[in-house]
Formats: sequence, structure tokens, C-alpha cells
Amino acid sequence: MASKSRSKRKHSAATKPANPKPAAEPIAAVAAEKTAESEVVIETRNLSKVYRDFWGRQKVQALKSLDLEVRKGEIFGLLGPNGSGKTTTIKLLLGLLFPTSGEALVFGTDASDVAKNERIGYLPEESYLYKFLNAEETLDFYGRLFKMSGVERRRRTAELIDKVGLRWARRRPLKEYSKGMTRRIGLAQALINDPDLILLDEPTTGLDPIGIREMKDMLVALRDQGKTLVMCSHLLADVQDVCDRIAILHQGELKELGRVDTLLQLSGETELRIANLSDEAQQEIKAVIERDGAKLISSKNPTTTLEDLFLEIVRDSEARPGRRAKGKST
Amino acid sequence: MVLESDIPNFLPWLLDQAWFFVRVVFALFCGSLLFGYLVAAIRNGPAKGLIVTRQVVVTAAVDLLCTSPRRIMALAWLSFKESIGQRLVVAFVLFLLILMFAGWFLDPDSPNPGRLYLSFVLSATNGLVLMLALFLSSFSLPGDIKSRTIYTIVTKPVRRSEIVLGRLLGFTAIGTLLLAATGVLSYVFVVRSLDHTHEIQPSDLSLIEKSGYQPGQKQGQTNYAQKHRHLVTVDGTGNGSTDIQHGHWHEVTRTKSGYELGPPLGVLAARVPIGGRLSFVDREGKQADKGISVGKEWTYRSYIAGSTLATANWQFENLSEKRFSTSEGPPKSLPIALSLSVFRTHKGKIERGVIGSIELRNPDTQLTSRIYTFRVREFVLHEIDIPRRQIDKADPDRAIDIYDDLISDDGRIEVIIRCEEGGQYFGMAQADVYLRSQDASFAVNFFKGYLGIWLQMVIVVALGVMFSTLLSAPVTMMATMASIVMGMFSDYVLELASGPEYGGGPIESLIRLLTQRNMTSPLPPGMMKSMVETGDSAYLFALRVVNFLLPNFSTYSDTDYIVNGFNVPAGLLLQHLLSAAAYLLVVCLIGYLFLKTREVAR
Ligand SMILES: Nc1ncnc2c1ncn2[C@@H]1O[C@H](COP(=O)(O)OP(=O)(O)OP(=O)(O)O)[C@@H](O)[C@H]1O
Ligand SMILES: [Mg+2]
Repeated sequence: MASKSRSKRKHSAATKPANPKPAAEPIAAVAAEKTAESEVVIETRNLSKVYRDFWGRQKVQALKSLDLEVRKGEIFGLLGPNGSGKTTTIKLLLGLLFPTSGEALVFGTDASDVAKNERIGYLPEESYLYKFLNAEETLDFYGRLFKMSGVERRRRTAELIDKVGLRWARRRPLKEYSKGMTRRIGLAQALINDPDLILLDEPTTGLDPIGIREMKDMLVALRDQGKTLVMCSHLLADVQDVCDRIAILHQGELKELGRVDTLLQLSGETELRIANLSDEAQQEIKAVIERDGAKLISSKNPTTTLEDLFLEIVRDSEARPGRRAKGKST
Repeated sequence: MVLESDIPNFLPWLLDQAWFFVRVVFALFCGSLLFGYLVAAIRNGPAKGLIVTRQVVVTAAVDLLCTSPRRIMALAWLSFKESIGQRLVVAFVLFLLILMFAGWFLDPDSPNPGRLYLSFVLSATNGLVLMLALFLSSFSLPGDIKSRTIYTIVTKPVRRSEIVLGRLLGFTAIGTLLLAATGVLSYVFVVRSLDHTHEIQPSDLSLIEKSGYQPGQKQGQTNYAQKHRHLVTVDGTGNGSTDIQHGHWHEVTRTKSGYELGPPLGVLAARVPIGGRLSFVDREGKQADKGISVGKEWTYRSYIAGSTLATANWQFENLSEKRFSTSEGPPKSLPIALSLSVFRTHKGKIERGVIGSIELRNPDTQLTSRIYTFRVREFVLHEIDIPRRQIDKADPDRAIDIYDDLISDDGRIEVIIRCEEGGQYFGMAQADVYLRSQDASFAVNFFKGYLGIWLQMVIVVALGVMFSTLLSAPVTMMATMASIVMGMFSDYVLELASGPEYGGGPIESLIRLLTQRNMTSPLPPGMMKSMVETGDSAYLFALRVVNFLLPNFSTYSDTDYIVNGFNVPAGLLLQHLLSAAAYLLVVCLIGYLFLKTREVAR
């Protein structure tokens, strides 16, 4: 069943305009579509990473020939099971690691270029911050690393502390913070320079349900301001909620890449919701529709959940290893 | 002693060192370029390696140009904040404890307690501060890499050079704080420990009946304090001074009820010696470059024979009355300090010393002073104050003024030293006699000593940071410690590196050991011999390189000057500052290259 729906979905991707978009499509997604061709923020070409041990022996091939493009104004999701290379990808994009082969370009320059960091915000997997500083000192310190006047720095610090809801704890050293609080100050730290590109490694872990909601709203709001976001997460519902496009990695290989809405459409099936239909007509439903006698409330392709898609791809990829999604993009 | 090594002239020294520095930097640049290319070529192939190397060079140039003081300050503040807490307090408390228990071990009965106390506090501070510098710098960066806090730093527009410099600055600030605190504390400790006075009752003083003393002069012993007493001599008005005991003396003033002694003087001094040029006159009275050799003695000193025409003449230049004026005004005397060695052909009276004489002469007018005699006890520093005004030998009605008559118009004077006992010899080298001009401030000199310690601390911090860009914390600490220890003994390492005279290097020695060959017989010629020699010279070369890379801590330390009561010359301090700066620059550059070429996310 799973593989059947998959093949259908693929078919639809090939003949894309078969179904008109529902009118209720979020405006931002349209905006993302509009700028799609305009500006590429991140580009990786054949990006590979091999972790070696001290003696230079190969330990893990963490990433294999990744080709990606992230465009301005979208939220890009990186999905994959544990150890599939998501964090590695983000570290390569930040220049924290050097690629074994291939290239990672951010804002058109090499990822190892320091100047690009002026426009980048990064929320690490866990918030790696200095425990002896308090929230205000932390933001002030990171602010100092950017070209920012003292006044602006203080304004921005206060603003961000409010935004992540830590006003009540702003004078406490970070070593006293709970996991969720640390996460929040980590996000504030990533936004201190009002970045154009934000890379978030599992932004919602450790947050309470309200925190998760706020985080997602914040991400969407940032996107609506025209910022580009790249996030990786295991929480598929979150990804489904906020991401415009996703890439699914498995064992360092790209397995799937595309718009979330397209990927989740099952184009071979049709779902009808019909009112005021008599029993007789119900049996003649195809004829009725053909004759256009009944009132058609909606007709669309049913969607799967991202969870189903994810599990299916991972299972499939485990059964038949190899590259699949290369070069396919929306 | 301190003065034996001449301080080279500043400008030639600077040019020489600058040229040397340029060559070192150039060699370093070429070396790292070659090494970098080799690594890159092995990883990516020869052609791609070239591109990678070029890119690294370009980005390194950009990094160094874009290094921003603002970010360095921010990172320095972070390092400062990181270590300002417990560690600094622990170090300071440790120092307090050391000082508290020091009183038990430091014996005020020693012949020169000032020296003892000073060398104690200076070496205690030195050790403590270097330890702190070692700990701070070795653990910081590896800690950041391990806890991954470095991720949030390097993903900001921070250059790797700024990370290195920021740390250097932050830890230097911490060390400076500790050094300032311990410095003030040490100063107070030394001054308070040495401070004492004595009492003397009018009844303890009695008139002196001997000839050679003016009428009304009295002498007597003070009471016993700080394990010594002084002999007091006062004149008719009741004012005077004590003799020198334990390296100090006191001023004595008359009060209504009796006599009062002031605080100890002369212990904590910063003498400013003026060195001269030494020449000899032999026993026949002819000019000579050298005196005579008395055989198997150190050739550093030359000797003059007693009761002959042989003299040792020092010529001093650039003298003026102003250089010798004291806080009380123009000088009342010309202070000459000498420490001579004695070679005896007969025993004489050992404890009485050998009599010598000193005479001053104006090199232009040839006018001479009276002859002053003194007793030489070997290698004891004698300080002789020759009174400024004296009666002319030739014309008893005329008075001679040293500063007006014996110093020539262009500021020169000759000091002539003779040995007055037949069969005895005086040995001397150029540094053995000097004029003591106006003392510098001891407090300032003490501060200069701390500046030397400070330089050492900064170098340790820089070495620690450099190693920590590449190594883990414990390994960094060991490497830094090894550098410090080897740096302390760098003179010895250099001696090793210049190669033993007999028996060859380590490999050759081993072969001799195994084949039971003696030290001098040559090895049989052939393959074996040349291989051994190549191996040995490679080893010696490596030693020499290592020694060159090590900081030469002994040169940065000026404690010898302070402890012995000599002013640290400004030129020397400037030299130390400059060479330390050059060393730091190279160390920081290496640290930067390490950090630049490593992945911080491992
Ligand atoms: N420093 C390292 N040294 C050696 N191997 C590493 C290192 N970091 C990651 N790896 C390996 O690289 C692969 C990818 O790791 P990565 O951290 O990118 O996974 P991830 O997708 O982020 O996983 P998770 O969902 O658990 O965060 C894994 O097999 C991991 O074991
Ligand atoms: Mg991860």
C-alpha cells in the first residue's frame, strides 16, 4: 500500500499542474514561490563529509554528495533519523567543519568565509553558552561581536529577552537555567544580529507545548519578514506546520526533496464530500458526477501525514539502499 | 654579578634584533607555507593543494587585516569574566599564606636581610603568577572546544586571530591584577619586615680620645634589636650616624631627652652605577692593556703587583655634579664602589685584609687628589665616599673640589688603584669598580622587577594559548610546563646543543659505550661513522632549534638587579619589552595558524 501511494505521488510531481491550488494557501508560501528563482541563499554541490580519527583513518561517512539549494524567504526543513547527517550538514554550512569534498556556498561565498557570519544566526543542537554569564550579559557579549552601537545593542538585548519570555530571569546566571530556558536564550542569541539566514538545529526540543507554539509562530513570522530559515527536527508535526520545503536524509544520503504540500499529496486518489445526495444517487455517484447533477462541495487529493511519508522513505531506503532524489527539486 | 654583563648599545642592538626578527618571520612564513602545501597536497592532490594553500594565505591575510579591537575586547572581557572568580582568589590567598609563614623561615640575622626578603618575595610571586598563567591559559580554549561553546563564537563574525588575542589579553589582565595585588603586598611586607630602630642612651656614648677624630665626637653601642646592634658616632652637635650592619645604617639625631635613631637606610636601594674603562700601568710604570696573569686563575681578572709602580686605572666619562646630587642637594662626596680579588704570595693577616689605595686624577690637568687607603677583603663590595673638598697635597693653602677641579671640563675623571703591600696582588676586571651616582627610587625599581615577571607571565599565557589551539587541556599544560622549565634552563640546553667536545653526540656516545671504546679514539671510518655523525648533528641541530623557540626566561628576569640593590637600566627594560613583544607576535601567529586550520567542531 505504502509503495503504491508513493509511486502515484511521484507521478503527480511529474505532471504538476493537474490540480489547482486551494484558495486558502498561505500567502507567505506564495511569496516564497514568487522569489523562488530570484535568490539562492545556500547552495551545496556534491558536499561530502568523512569523519576521520586522529590517524586519518576513515570512521564515518556522514554525508554523501549532497546537492541542495535554499532560496531566500523560505523555511527549509532537514529531516532524517538520528545520525543521518543533519547536524553535519549545518556545521558544514557554518564552516565549523571543512568538507571532505564538494562545496558549500552561503550567500554565494564559501562557507569558511567569516564575513558571511554577519548575516547568519545559529541555534546549536544544545545551547552551548557560557554558564557564568546571565541572560543580559550573554546577549550583550554576542552583540559586541557584531558591528552594533551600544545603544542598539541594549535595545536589541531587552527586546529579545522579552520576545523569548525570559524577562523574569534575565539577571540569573545561565547555569541556573532549565533546559527550555536555555533553549530560549539560545534562540535570542541566534537573533541578536537580526540575521538574514537562520540555521536552527532542532529548535523545539526541550520546549513546553506553549513554547513550541510560540517558537513555530516566531519562525513563521521571521519567514514573513523575508528571512531564510533552515531547521532540522525530529518532530514531524512541527516540520509539517512550518516548513515550505524539506529534504529527507538517511545515512548521509538525500532521499527526498521538495515542497511539503506537493510531497504530501496523493494525486492518484480523489476525496469527495457531498451533501444532499439521495441513496439512489449514491449508487450512481460516478454517473451523477459525470452529468454534473450533484453539488460538488470539494474535490481534492487527500494528503498523507508527514509521519507516514517519513517512515515510508526510511523503510524503503533501508530495504533498497542507494541514491534516489538526486537533482530533483521543486 | 649583575654588572659583569655589559648592556649593549641600544640602537645597534635594535637594528640587529629587528633584522634577525625579519629573518625569523620570513623563515616561519616559508616553512609554514611549505608544510601547509604538503598537507594540502596529500589530502587533495598536488594541483588542488596549491589552490587550497593559496586560499588559506589569502584568507589569513584578510583575517589579520580585519582583526577588530572591538571583538578582541569583547573576547578578552569574556576570558576575564571566566577566570576572575575563584581561581584568582585562591591564588591570592595562597600568596597571603606564603607571606604569613615566610616569617618563620626568613632569618633577619642573615648578613643581608634586605636581599633575602626581596629574593624571597620576588621568586614567590614569580612562581605563583606563572602557575596561574599556566592554568588559566591551558584550560580555557580546550574547555571551550570540549563544551562546544566555541560554536557560538566562531559562527559570529569572529576571526580566529581575535580568539587568540582576546584570550591573551583577558588572561593577561587577570595575571596583572594578581601581580599588582601581590606586588603591593610584597612591598609592604618587605618594608615592614626590615623596618626597625634601635635605642641609645646618652650614658652609652663616650668621648673619643684617639687622634684623627674631631673634638666633641662621641661613640657608643646601641641596644640589640633585630639580632644586631650598631656603633653610633655623633659629632659635637649630637647628630651623626651608625655604622653599617646587616646591610643598613641609621641616622642619629639629638632630641631634648637624648638621641633618636631613624629607620634603616641603604637596605632597599637602587644604586645607579657608572662604569668606566679599565687600563693598566705595569710595574715599570708603562701603559699596558692587561695586568699580569697569576696562573691558574680565572682569566677574566687581571692582576697588579703590590708595592710597585703597577696601577689599575679606570677612566669614567660623562660625569657631572648633577648626576651625583642627592635629595639633600649637591653631593658632599664622590662615592666609589669596588670589589677586588686578592692573590697572596704570602699569607699575611687574612682577617685584616690587604691594604690598597685610591687616588683621583684629572686627565686633562693631571691634578691629583690625596691618596686614600682602604683594606680589601676579597669579593666584598667596598663603598668608599671620597669627601668632596680636600686640602691640596702640594699647596696646603689651596682646597681642591672633586667636582670642580678633578673632573675635567668634558666630564672625565681617572681613578687609580694600587696595591700597597709587597708580595700581594689585586685582581680586577672592568666591572669591579664603579662610581655610584644618585640612587634611583627603590619603589620604581621594585616595580621594574615586577615588570620583568609580568613579561614572563604574558609569555606563558601566550604559549598556553598557542598550545591550546591544537592540543587538549592536559597535554597543553604539559607542553607549556615543559617550555617553561626548558626556557628557565635554556642556557644549559644551549650548552648541550653546541655539542660536547669529546666522545661525540648521543649516538656516538652510545656506540662508544656499547663497544667499550674510550672517549678520544676516533671511530673507524666508513658508512657507520658518517651515519652516526649525521644523526648526531641532526640531533644537535634539533636541540638548537628547540632552544631557539623556547622563551629565554632568564633574560627577562631582572630580579638579580633588584635583589642586589641595583637600578634596572631603562635601556635593558626596553630591550626586554621589545624582544618579548617580538616573541609574542610569533607565538600568536603560530597559534592563529593552528586555530585557523583546524576544525573546531570535533
Ligand atoms: N565528531 C564526530 N566524529 C565522528 N563521527 C561523527 C562526529 N559527529 C558526527 N559523527 C557521525 O556522523 C554521522 C552523522 O551525524 P550527525 O550529528 O550529523 O547526525 P544528525 O542527523 O544530526 O543526528 P541527530 O538526529 O541524532 O542529531 C553519525 O553517524 C555520527 O556518528
Ligand atoms: Mg543532530
